Amino acid sequence: MITGGLDLGAGVIKGALLEDGRRILATASVPSRGIPVQAARHVLDELGETANIAPGDIDYLCTTGFGRYTIPERNLQVSDFTSSARGAIFLFPGTRVVVDVGTQASRTMSVSETGKVLKFKMNEKCAAGAGRFVERCSKYLQVPLEEMGPKALGSEHPKLISSVCAVLAETEIINNVAEGVPLADILMGVFLSLSQRAYSLMRYVGIQPEVTLVGGLVRNVGMVKALRETVGMDINVAPDAYYAAALGGAILGHARLVKLTQAPSAVGG
Amino acid sequence: MKPVVAGVDIGSTTAKCVILGEESRVLGKSLSVVGVDIVKDAERALEAALVDAQLSRSDVTFITGTGYGRYKVYFGQLVVTEISCHARGANFLFPGTRIVVDIGGQDTKAIRINERGEVVDFAMNDKCAAGTGRFLDVCANALGYDVGEIGALSLQARRAVKVTSTCTVFAESEVTSYVSRGKDPKDILAGLHASIANRTLSLMQRVGVEPEITFTGGVSQNEGMVHALQRRLGAPVNVSPLSQYLGALGAALHGRERLSAGAS
Repeated sequence: MITGGLDLGAGVIKGALLEDGRRILATASVPSRGIPVQAARHVLDELGETANIAPGDIDYLCTTGFGRYTIPERNLQVSDFTSSARGAIFLFPGTRVVVDVGTQASRTMSVSETGKVLKFKMNEKCAAGAGRFVERCSKYLQVPLEEMGPKALGSEHPKLISSVCAVLAETEIINNVAEGVPLADILMGVFLSLSQRAYSLMRYVGIQPEVTLVGGLVRNVGMVKALRETVGMDINVAPDAYYAAALGGAILGHARLVKLTQAPSAVGG
Repeated sequence: MKPVVAGVDIGSTTAKCVILGEESRVLGKSLSVVGVDIVKDAERALEAALVDAQLSRSDVTFITGTGYGRYKVYFGQLVVTEISCHARGANFLFPGTRIVVDIGGQDTKAIRINERGEVVDFAMNDKCAAGTGRFLDVCANALGYDVGEIGALSLQARRAVKVTSTCTVFAESEVTSYVSRGKDPKDILAGLHASIANRTLSLMQRVGVEPEITFTGGVSQNEGMVHALQRRLGAPVNVSPLSQYLGALGAALHGRERLSAGAS
């Protein structure tokens, strides 16, 4: 049984294919660039190529994320809270708190041992604490996104940002550059600022181990270090946690499909 | 003869200076962009206003600093908050003013004042760029315009687009998505101005809305914003070509009062 999960985020479309709800066959991601449906097609094609299967071989497709209603061939759609939680538990069964810093929203939720969302808190009103802030910093500091994390690790005296607003922080950061603050310290200041926003969301749901970071910033070593420092405990990270919501979607899709096939009478058979 | 006084208003984005002579006549003024070295910017603002007034430094008896960078006006004798200065300046230009709306580069304020130009209450947003000049700046850039031309363009809109994002960063993406959907930039601009007018009104409601309303700060020079604000309020607002200098003007007036209080 092959199930797919598609996570249509505001910035990047991520996808995962699972066999029997357990074994990862393929993962893929494509920036949405304002045309999420097209990007989702690319993701599905790439998944099929990696797993060496035809699109028709996907038994069940579950979509999640901001754009989950835009894919007509979906069999199921779930909220990104539900899918990220399920994905986090799949990767780290001891997870009790999930932190997801996305492009346009940051979320945190407490989860049960079965991956059910108990409590959640989200900021989607403003770019403070969202990945878009990092993208903007990358642009005006002229440091490629993937180099920001490693460069931040060299920081000795992180330059904290006093503005909450991403736009006002930009002015502050540019002033810091003009004043000769080392780049590493500025970058670490950016990640600490994001971590503090995430931390205040986490406090709403209650902080308890294990904490798992999922979504766009898991690959960013600077962000991971800053979050560990801010929260004062270890944070689970794994490369596949980037696809947590897509994985969670595929797992939930599998569970639904199993239920459907076990109870054919329910659909009139 | 009344001595010559000056007010220097160092905002987040621009520095303003006003030199007042006899009968509080404006003898000279200047407006310049603020950079990283605020101390130098303050000095330059004063020098430029002196040139405009055809005066020299020794002609000025008293200098007052105000604005976000007021503590960097080292050559001044007095420091007053920009809230008191806008209140005083608005009262001077429009004596009937009860509410001052100041939309600057990085913050927005609603100030309730009495008939003597004293502050009774105020509300402000300085936490975030939403509803400030910066918001317009960012969105103008996203549309490929200069912030100076968008007000007039917004007035040519046929059907304003509804802008739902509060956050400047998200509004920028929203604007871009409207462009890609083929919306007329003029209609988008009208929507952006209407969105700021909405935010401004909710700030004003925290101090109470009452005529006369005087609009100050850099954004008051944007005719599209004046229109959007009047439309949202359903009432006229006072604007003057000096509106952007009201903080500096108020500072100079505060200085003059301090001088005469000291002399008596």
